[in-house]
Amino acid sequence: MEDQEILVKFADPATRNVAFNQLVRKYQSKLYWHVRKMVIDHDDADDLTQDVFVKVWNHLGNFRQDASLYTWLYRIATNECLNFLSSKRRKFFLPLHDVAAELTQKVEADPGLAGDEIELRLQKAILRLPDKQRLVFNMKYYDEITYEQMADITGTSVGALKASYHHAVKKIEQYVNEESRHD
Amino acid sequence: MNTPFRLDDHTRRPQPLAPPPADYFATLPRQIMARVQPEAAREAALLGWLSALPLPLRTALASVVVLGGFATSFFLSQPAVAPATAVSVAALEAVPRTEMVQYLLATDSRVSLTDLAELPAADHTLTDSFLQASPDELQDALDAQPTDETYL
Repeated sequence: MEDQEILVKFADPATRNVAFNQLVRKYQSKLYWHVRKMVIDHDDADDLTQDVFVKVWNHLGNFRQDASLYTWLYRIATNECLNFLSSKRRKFFLPLHDVAAELTQKVEADPGLAGDEIELRLQKAILRLPDKQRLVFNMKYYDEITYEQMADITGTSVGALKASYHHAVKKIEQYVNEESRHD
Repeated sequence: MNTPFRLDDHTRRPQPLAPPPADYFATLPRQIMARVQPEAAREAALLGWLSALPLPLRTALASVVVLGGFATSFFLSQPAVAPATAVSVAALEAVPRTEMVQYLLATDSRVSLTDLAELPAADHTLTDSFLQASPDELQDALDAQPTDETYL
């Protein structure tokens, strides 16, 4: 079902549930992985993904179609991730490095990375980036979102996003190379 | 010597972390619908009957609610007890003093600070009309009261 059709059906109370169900099925995987790469832990990602869709349900009626539904959903998910990480720091009085350390521990324990040393180093390097730069990196590198769409999602200029991604790549390569030299 | 790591040369894994449980994406829509349905049902129960009404009727209903609110607030803002009027003062003056004292002695009522606090501001002309005693007489009357009873 196309986004436009979903929106039309969502506006009609008789077909709202069907339309929303279709929307969830269409975007759940992309949004889940977008969130998961930010919070690493599956349970946290599950909670946040559900919260994102509940917000979508509550606000889809007010969605202005000057942005695409896809970027609007990503924006909600992105804000949820950033709020989650900053509230985690506030709640536990954790400095930046401690949250990064906690996420690094979860990455090291992730069975999906077992036995792949280079990939593990890459993931640890990504976790050393500031949250917003990590988001930019993930969206560009993994989700292959265009800079224009990323600008819609983050409210940042295309130039700033390109610079942020470029610096992120440099930092990641530097970290992985340093780690390889130490071993 | 190891070749330096370059991201462009690295094989990209779209989902590098371990996948969620096998049936996760099959059950997630149901979980989400279960979370939004109570909200939708509550919303429908509260506003469903209202939204079913035609627009002119809804407008009329809203007007009635607003006018009713004004009327209620007007009636509630009226004083609950009317102040003493000249007629009630005259009726009080007509009661003989002995009968009034007998009544006060016979009843078990006590004047409390709360009673005094609830009285309107003292009206000297009102008290002058039925409290006709000199300061000495009042002092004697107060001295005659037993000291172990506290009235105020």
